[in-house]
Amino acid sequence: MNKTLKAALAGLAISTAMSGATFAEDIKVGILLPYSGVYAALGQDIDDAFALGLETFGADVGVTFDIVREDTEVKPPVGLAKTKKLILQDEVDVMVGVVSSGVLGAIRDTVDGAGVPLIVANAGNDEATGAACSPFITRISFSNQQVNRPMGQWMVDQGVKKVFTIAPDYAAGRQMIDAFTTAFTAAGGEVVGQEWPAFQKTQDFGPFLANAKASGADAVYVFFAGGEAISFVKQYDSFGLKAELSLYGSGFLTSALYVEAEGPAAEGMITALHYVPTLDNPENAAFVAAFMEKTGRIPSEYAVQGYDSARALVEAVKSGATDRETLAAALPKVSFTGPRGELRIDPATNNVVQPIHVYETVAGPDGLTQKVLATLPAEADPANGCVMPASVN
Amino acid sequence: MFTHTPLRLTTLATLAIGALAYAFVAGFFGLEILAEIAILAILVIALDLVAGFGGMLSLCHGALLGVGAYAFTVAAKDAGLSAFPAMVLAVALSAALAFVIGAVCARSIGIYFIMATLAFGQMAYSFVFQSPLFGGDDGLSGAPRPDLTAIGIDLTDSRAFAIYAIALVALTYLVAASTLRSGLGRSLVGLHHNEKRLRALGLTVWRAKATAFAISGALAGLAGCLAAQHTQYISPGLLSWTVSGEALVVVILGGLGTLAGPIVGAILFVVLKHEISAITPYWHAIVGLILIAVVMSRANGVFGYVEARMAARAAKPTLEKAKADA
Amino acid sequence: MTTDLGFWVLQTLNALQLSMLLFLLSVGLTVIFGLMHFVNPAHGSLYAFGAYMAASLAGVLGYWGGFFLVPLAVAALGAVLYFTLIRSQRRAGPMAQVLVTFGLIFVAVDATRLIWGDLPIGIAIPAMFEGQLPLLGVEYPIYRLFIIALGLVVLAALTLVLTRTQIGAMIRAGVDNDQMAACLGINVERMFFLVFVVGCALAGLAGAVAAPVLSVTPDMGLQILIPTLIVIVIGGLGSLKGAVAGSLIFGFVQTFGAVLLPTLNSVLIYALLAAVLVIRPEGLLPAKG
Repeated sequence: MNKTLKAALAGLAISTAMSGATFAEDIKVGILLPYSGVYAALGQDIDDAFALGLETFGADVGVTFDIVREDTEVKPPVGLAKTKKLILQDEVDVMVGVVSSGVLGAIRDTVDGAGVPLIVANAGNDEATGAACSPFITRISFSNQQVNRPMGQWMVDQGVKKVFTIAPDYAAGRQMIDAFTTAFTAAGGEVVGQEWPAFQKTQDFGPFLANAKASGADAVYVFFAGGEAISFVKQYDSFGLKAELSLYGSGFLTSALYVEAEGPAAEGMITALHYVPTLDNPENAAFVAAFMEKTGRIPSEYAVQGYDSARALVEAVKSGATDRETLAAALPKVSFTGPRGELRIDPATNNVVQPIHVYETVAGPDGLTQKVLATLPAEADPANGCVMPASVN
Repeated sequence: MFTHTPLRLTTLATLAIGALAYAFVAGFFGLEILAEIAILAILVIALDLVAGFGGMLSLCHGALLGVGAYAFTVAAKDAGLSAFPAMVLAVALSAALAFVIGAVCARSIGIYFIMATLAFGQMAYSFVFQSPLFGGDDGLSGAPRPDLTAIGIDLTDSRAFAIYAIALVALTYLVAASTLRSGLGRSLVGLHHNEKRLRALGLTVWRAKATAFAISGALAGLAGCLAAQHTQYISPGLLSWTVSGEALVVVILGGLGTLAGPIVGAILFVVLKHEISAITPYWHAIVGLILIAVVMSRANGVFGYVEARMAARAAKPTLEKAKADA
Repeated sequence: MTTDLGFWVLQTLNALQLSMLLFLLSVGLTVIFGLMHFVNPAHGSLYAFGAYMAASLAGVLGYWGGFFLVPLAVAALGAVLYFTLIRSQRRAGPMAQVLVTFGLIFVAVDATRLIWGDLPIGIAIPAMFEGQLPLLGVEYPIYRLFIIALGLVVLAALTLVLTRTQIGAMIRAGVDNDQMAACLGINVERMFFLVFVVGCALAGLAGAVAAPVLSVTPDMGLQILIPTLIVIVIGGLGSLKGAVAGSLIFGFVQTFGAVLLPTLNSVLIYALLAAVLVIRPEGLLPAKG
């Protein structure tokens, strides 16, 4: 290579650096999602919306996003192997995804050790932004406690004094319910009974429902997701409990993704979540319209997490980040107003801070829809043992 | 009766040389796959030992592997043992558990044996899943790799680790083969063919079965240690019956009762899985069709098929020669 | 809570409902095994297919259209399987059977994903069985009572066929000793086919009946497989009585275990299975005593 050309290239590099990102650069993005296994539908929603987010916000930032997709199969060892492949072989600049908390737990040390920024687009395990937090892991989705905590005070305010809780017996189930019951008892409520059916082994909730009915509670508070949510909601209705005992819960129970399958049984259930497709704001209207045009589906909370992950990545790039190190530093500083409302990242934990929406599932003209009853103010999670290094820059 | 035919020895030598050669040239992902194959190979050799030779089709080998992985991780991380003593402890625990299962299930045969082992495997799974000590559904991270820097080997390097894994496969094979050639191995094969006769000859049937199962369990525990060291993260999914079911499929796919065949099966299964899953998320269907095709060919797995073909070819000339002589 | 009579009535009904669903699934599997010495783990996949077909048909023909058509459709699927795979593998030994049926399960799971997608599906309870019925002081869902009744009707019909008809006598002879039965001039092949197809139809029926209670997901066939196998092994392979006993034991242990001993529940049924096999290595009521 001759000297003039070298000098020219160096000059170009400097001018690029100075003018922000006017020169086309490549940012290699590794997407780590379940495309098969029980969470395949969630992975698809996140993937579609992430692509939409890049199209919407990333078109004019002068950067080409190079996408590599890997399937975790919802198996922690597989997720870990694929993470290593993305980091070491594909040499990605940033990773996005992770639906299951088990997979997140498995890859945490590898991601942290390699210093590759990871945007968590679902997995809500409290520890990931608590004791196991990392300056390289930024969560744009939610934490298990965040979604449930505000319901404690809100339900007491609505006059509910005694609750019975039911949730599957695994880490996420425990975290969701414990966050709620702590807040609920602190606000003066009483927990009169709890059931923890075996996770993914229980299809018949009849035995637990009978106990809930006999407990003397004013209401039942639950967490279930996916197929279990559908079975639970339908069985709750078929036992005639809906009329006697109001059902509250974490909003995954009546997610837009599953409410169609639950049918009329879901009507009247009041739950809390960080996103519902009926939120009334211009950003959400644009997102819902674009997502429906692209996929023909109503966006779920999983979709918005994918969409906002793309937005966060683009915002980080806009602030001048180009590689692993600068992206890792820039991602926790992003903040924007999206379909969910105002989002920012808590510097103490790298977890998203966002409002929580209480909604009721109601019958609409085209089937079941979500009626927002209240929007509870954003609240950062306690640090829970998270110690961030002073600076990663 | 287990013998080392020239075909088996050639296959083993080729596999060993091939694996080592590949370990020196492979890129990062190739080394990951090599380690994955090695872990599965150890598990299926362990399973073939009891299933192929003793007729004990076990659905708890995944659990035995998982117990090894958890015992290793807890011993090395929480109890502060160094890696090799922790491995010995983990292998011993898996062996002890396998001995108990083997002794209790010794009277059951066929589907009843499968179901009895399934029951014990699922109990171990539930125990690990529910016990807060083991991190429940979230699993445990931080299993260390053995420190061999004293002899100049750094196992945190993928290449060194893959070679270490291949060495453990060789060790496993030697243990399995020498078990089969010992008195215990002959009793095991004899029991499979005619239990009454051996009982009449004064053999304590349950003890022979339980001992063989314990050796197999020890090897499964070794696979568990290796799995924990490889991913440095373990989760209850390791103990699930589907892991045992997959191992059984791999043994049969490779060739039951050949020891070398299951290794071939492990290579085929892992490579197929990765190749096909790179193309389509519906890779299970393709693997399923391949399994069906293998069975429809009526061979004893892939390796069994090759063995049968070679035997037929070897028999032909002697037959013709015999004809000519007559 | 446990001193309340209502609690016991309610949980007993829950246990019966689960038992009857498992009975529909396990009876086919166990009789097929008794006759053909063939354990078919893909039986669970037929159940899943039944549930999916019921969900699809419910939109077109309503619930009852699915209820009557699904068993026929799954039986037809069973017939195809019988002629392409099962018949040739019947004498191939258990190893080949395990491999073939695992292959079938892999294919079936992905086939349901391709046809019906990854999202769980739900269908509504038929209008005539909506709501609850007061019964012994408790309000119990009518649809669940219907499942219990259906199980009992199928049990009665099968008992009648097996004990009072000629074909029943042939099947019993075949379970006892198929070679002897063949020598007596019974067309064993045709009998195998018939039993296999009826078993498949019952699995499909179980799927169609379960669909409104549960969610229909690609892995439901795999989820139900282990409980079904436990039922037939506890009961003893090959016998109708065994399937009944196994189903009842499983249903009651699972239901009461869940509410009375929640911490032990996931271990309880396996501990029971292990105990049965240690004490009676061939199950409680095996076909050949």
